[in-house]
Amino acid sequence: MTTFWPIALITFKEGIRNRAIYGIALVALMLFGATALIATMVPREVGKVAVDMALSTISFAGLLIVLFVGINLMAKDLDKRTIYTVLARPISRSQYIIGKFLGMILLITVTMALLSLLAITAIIILKNIHAGYFTRFSWQAIILADGLTVLMLIMLSAISFLFASFTSSSFITLVLTIITYIIGQSLSGVKALLEAPSYEIGFNVSPMTIKLVTAVYYLFPNLSLFDIKLQAAHALPISPSFVLWTVLYGIVYIVLSITLAAIIFRRKEFP
Amino acid sequence: MITINGISKEFKEGITGKRVRALEGLELEIKKGEVFGFLGPNGAGKSTAIKILMNLIFPNSGTAQIGGRDVRDSEARRVVGYLPENPYFYDYLTTDELLWFGGRTAGMDSNSIRDRSDILINQVNLQSARKRPLRTYSKGMVQRAGLAMALIHDPEVVILDEPMSGLDPIGRKMVGDLLIELKGQGKTVFFSSHILNDIERFSDRAGIIIGGRLKRVDTLQNLLSGGKNLEDVFMREVALAEGVTAV
Repeated sequence: MTTFWPIALITFKEGIRNRAIYGIALVALMLFGATALIATMVPREVGKVAVDMALSTISFAGLLIVLFVGINLMAKDLDKRTIYTVLARPISRSQYIIGKFLGMILLITVTMALLSLLAITAIIILKNIHAGYFTRFSWQAIILADGLTVLMLIMLSAISFLFASFTSSSFITLVLTIITYIIGQSLSGVKALLEAPSYEIGFNVSPMTIKLVTAVYYLFPNLSLFDIKLQAAHALPISPSFVLWTVLYGIVYIVLSITLAAIIFRRKEFP
Repeated sequence: MITINGISKEFKEGITGKRVRALEGLELEIKKGEVFGFLGPNGAGKSTAIKILMNLIFPNSGTAQIGGRDVRDSEARRVVGYLPENPYFYDYLTTDELLWFGGRTAGMDSNSIRDRSDILINQVNLQSARKRPLRTYSKGMVQRAGLAMALIHDPEVVILDEPMSGLDPIGRKMVGDLLIELKGQGKTVFFSSHILNDIERFSDRAGIIIGGRLKRVDTLQNLLSGGKNLEDVFMREVALAEGVTAV
């Protein structure tokens, strides 16, 4: 930990002081303001809309932080050759990757905690004004949805580390991470559609296509698993085993991504 | 203190993957307490050799040790302070934070880091800028912050890649004074330069590298014997390497 901590701390400081964070925070503030306005435009559904919008705002702002601050934190070390002076210290490359990732976890956790605080404030204000429309409401579900979003963002960040370990520029890492996010969010839906009976979807799907989609499904992270905003908005019950397996899935994916990134990084040259 | 045994390095160039030889059978031994100047024209392989010593790139063949440890072992770098050519640091960190990072990764405690930082910041003349983010620094100031970071843990071996590059005359003098001080402290210094005067002023021994091959290694005294100057010696080696009759 004595080796990881200095790397994690400078990564966090470099990230939290980045001007982009302030821009993202401003966008989030505006969206929370919009939540209050839009929610009141939907009579009887104020509670559901408020929760859904507040959670969506957190998720969107977090995604911006991972894509535009997080990727830069890792990739800029390589682009600008800052890594020369970092790796000149008596630390191994695996320690560098893990320290950097711990810094990223810290950044995501702190920024998301602040955003969640804003979201909760917005919900509390609306709940006090429109108490009658918050009959089906669960703080537990909201916090659970928020927690899974944080885990999803940490997972996406781990994947971006994996991409950064073998690509040569931050732009390629950014593009690959965005593609992974889009695939990860939509793949389970596509798989379910293709596996449905042909009379239901109106066309035949070749077994080859199903096999291909299944292979991609297992290769890419299933990020939609972590999206339980809808359940939280409607205060629907969420099974503890689902939460447990999803958290476990996320942790395994993170550990695998970072381990693989460290292995690749050990062999990387910095000419 | 630094040993390089028959190191060769090739790079792949462009999309065709054409192999370019950057170093060929480099053999070098730098003794404890010696200031060694590594002289060569641009692209001669100076930085390649230094990056191999810092384990930033890996040789195709050969080995290198610092303080008896293979350079692939991260512990070898515990006794090394390194300044790359044109260093770049974190935009939003201050020099104080940079030195804290350097000290902590070398295993120093907070008090030692604070004391040593005060001395070094004074030495590189960054007192008034120590709490400012590094992105507001000029190129010379970044170079000086980098020097302080390289020396924060009072390393036995100091490796500097073109330490005078991009510095104004005041900065050059400051680096020169530091080199003399390190020499006085008995540190082993390995620095590269393509500026003859710097090699002549600060080195005990110098190596001339051209086209990835070490052409000559000797003490400054021997290199300059018979009233020769380093420019003549260097140009002669360049001419020989190019197959031209000595000038």
